[in-house]
Amino acid sequence: MLLKYWPAKTNVSFMKLRLPAALVSFVLLLASVATLATQGLNLGVDFAGGSVIEVAASETVTVQAVRDELAPLGLNETVTDATGTGTDSETVIIIKFGSVDPAMIASELEGVPEHKQEERAQQEANDLVRAELQESFPEIVIRSSEAVGPKVSGELFKAGITALGVSLILMMVYIWFRFEWQFSIGSVAALGHDVLLTMGMFSFLQLEFNLTTIAALLTIIGYSMNDTVVVFDRVREEKRKYKKMPDRQVVDLALNGTLSRTLLTSGTTLLALLAIFFLGGPVLQGMSFALIWGVIIGTYSSVFIASSIVLLLGMDLNKKPAEDVSGFQGVGG
Amino acid sequence: MLHFPAWKVFLIVAALVWGVVMALPNFVNTDSVPFVAHKGVNLGLDLQGGVYLMMEIDPDEVVGNRLEVYAGDVASDLRALRPRLPHRVNPQARTLTVNLLGDDVEANMTRALESIRKLNTPVAGAIGGSRSYEVTQSGRDRILITVPSTSEEAMMKDALGKTMTIVRRRVDPDGVSEVSITPQGNNRIILEAPGEADPERLKDILSRDGKMTFNMVDLSPSALAQANAGVVKPGYRLLSSFDQGDMLVKNIPELVGSDIATASQGFDEGNRPQINFRLNSNGSKKFARTTANNSGKFFGIVLDDVVMSAPRINEPIYGGNVRITGNFEMEEAQDLAAIIAAGEMPAKVEFLQERTVGPSLGEDSIRAGTTASLIGLALVAIFMILAYGLLGGFAVTSLAVNIVLILGALSGLGATLTLPGIAGIILTIGMAVDANVLVFERIREEQHAGRSPMTAVQAGYERALSTILDANITTFIAATVLFLLGSGPVKGFAVTLAIGIVTSVFTAFVFTRWLTSMWMKGFKPKKLAI
Repeated sequence: MLLKYWPAKTNVSFMKLRLPAALVSFVLLLASVATLATQGLNLGVDFAGGSVIEVAASETVTVQAVRDELAPLGLNETVTDATGTGTDSETVIIIKFGSVDPAMIASELEGVPEHKQEERAQQEANDLVRAELQESFPEIVIRSSEAVGPKVSGELFKAGITALGVSLILMMVYIWFRFEWQFSIGSVAALGHDVLLTMGMFSFLQLEFNLTTIAALLTIIGYSMNDTVVVFDRVREEKRKYKKMPDRQVVDLALNGTLSRTLLTSGTTLLALLAIFFLGGPVLQGMSFALIWGVIIGTYSSVFIASSIVLLLGMDLNKKPAEDVSGFQGVGG
Repeated sequence: MLHFPAWKVFLIVAALVWGVVMALPNFVNTDSVPFVAHKGVNLGLDLQGGVYLMMEIDPDEVVGNRLEVYAGDVASDLRALRPRLPHRVNPQARTLTVNLLGDDVEANMTRALESIRKLNTPVAGAIGGSRSYEVTQSGRDRILITVPSTSEEAMMKDALGKTMTIVRRRVDPDGVSEVSITPQGNNRIILEAPGEADPERLKDILSRDGKMTFNMVDLSPSALAQANAGVVKPGYRLLSSFDQGDMLVKNIPELVGSDIATASQGFDEGNRPQINFRLNSNGSKKFARTTANNSGKFFGIVLDDVVMSAPRINEPIYGGNVRITGNFEMEEAQDLAAIIAAGEMPAKVEFLQERTVGPSLGEDSIRAGTTASLIGLALVAIFMILAYGLLGGFAVTSLAVNIVLILGALSGLGATLTLPGIAGIILTIGMAVDANVLVFERIREEQHAGRSPMTAVQAGYERALSTILDANITTFIAATVLFLLGSGPVKGFAVTLAIGIVTSVFTAFVFTRWLTSMWMKGFKPKKLAI
């Protein structure tokens, strides 16, 4: 229908833009590294250890009242107003505190052997705050609470980073197997670029970086890879068709050939993601933000980063006998 | 590519019917309908509300407790040896030392080693006769007993299994709730209790040792006064009680936890909550003997070093029915009964992580997730129809089928739907059209190259296939890694993402193709309007 009006053959010289694009990426990467080095990530409780308690109450309970009530406990908690995220017009208050040092709640830990105090402190502090809230504000409803001790948070962070690394390596191997090593390096460089820029964005805005963010990063990796593979497939095809054509033209031809698909798929994915971002509630907001940013960056990187690296490294698809994809034909029937 | 033999059509329809049948209970109550599934998607704790607890048992404590028991056995066996064998047994954290005393150390050493080794049981389930303890002579007069790693592994496995059973019995004494208890690694347990809103209560129940004994108590005021002044009667110790102040309790118990068969909450004559329990036959015999010998005295029912109750023995009690009365709250009595019935923990559990979601937040999340999915779906549908017209309509139909299949697969596999999982479905909605777009764009190109609609569609599907597979396999890799290394809600996301990839390739490549081919055969269009 409307796509009739989109030209069937575009002719954009993407590779002419590869140097400016490389410069932009380089600056963004530097900025990401800089903000990660100076500000760091705002790690969520699942990675840093600590507690978050979310309560709902009528308007009579104010943030200040909760603050005053909890201050004597000495847990250095932050109390913020998150009204509007819950049902109807009730007040929602979020209480958050980091890893609790055993010395902070020594009286609760009496008789606990020393090597167990560190883990116990977090759980005891969490129980203490819950009890205090329920006692001082009987009308309060605890909507959610989470307490993560130091042991688990360290492990979760490690597992998250491992997951990122392992999937990058697996994809590199898969692309190497299906294409050539140049493609595998190009695609993984693009993925690294996406991951680093997303982490930089999270650090710059000091958004909470948690387990769900890792899930979002892995999805971005999958998505960006998807995009890259579509372009690479086309590069391979065009290269075989026009054996004499310079590599740069081949890549441009492939990028133009897949351009409408790239824009359409990014468009539909972004539409779905925007729906989650605006309507999915606070829990999904961080995740959908990462995904939206990742889809944009991922689309950009598969056009500019992955392809330019392949161009830089040179293709030798012609040297080998054409590796046919007919191995997959049987599946579709 | 456009020819569908009857068996393929049958398979496609069968897949659709399966999806609908499996997904049906998510929309309507199917309890009374035969031949369809009755259970919808499992909702994760973040959607239905509940408590998630991760706990750990300490290997040092498990090994220490086992060594302590072994130390008791060793000591009593060595004491029983004739001629006498002077010695001292000294249990430490992970080693047990036996020092031989007196003159004839060399000769005694052989006897002592023999006696200790006789007690050394083989490791449960191990091949090659490895023993639970390593008994070595160290120096002239010392025996060191340690726990080798194979044996420690077996001990941990045993302790973890026992702890899991006890956790289940304590949290869900009637076996009616949908509590899930799963091991993680060799020393962790994850408890998920849907519908539970009070993590403190669960932690209280689970952090008790549950060590139950019956000991004689001395209630004479003079002995108590002396003990309070610092002179505790030999063989006794001072313990606090549930509601009557401190009491002097005899060290050696008359009955222990293993003498108890069952425990439950009941009511006394005044309709106040009490705890009833039955002793097993061995316990009943011991209890009858104790009550017969100690008429007029008091015996204490001691749980985790607190005297719960100290009734007076008026007459011998046969039959093994005992009760604890006291000023109990209803819930307290139920929890205590569950703790007593479950038995003693092999080691204390330590809580590492707690996550509680109240029911109202879960409902909010479900509502927000559903709204977001529907709006997202509608936006994508409008976009696709605007872009591709009728073919876009086919793609949207297959998208709807896709969602039914995802729900069907989630229900059929018994997978758990979490909030990030809902995001996974929405993301799939966005990405599922990708395969369609790839094909349609190819068709468009072919048509521009001057092919007839039939050959254009044919070529479009043929040429897009390897791209679609490559692209989806890479995303599938990411989902698999996420599933293997993720935890909790993230795992749920990985499952929906992976299922979504499989179903979207099927619906986009097979189902849409089938729709397109039927339409082309029926209408024989001269030109495709894309």
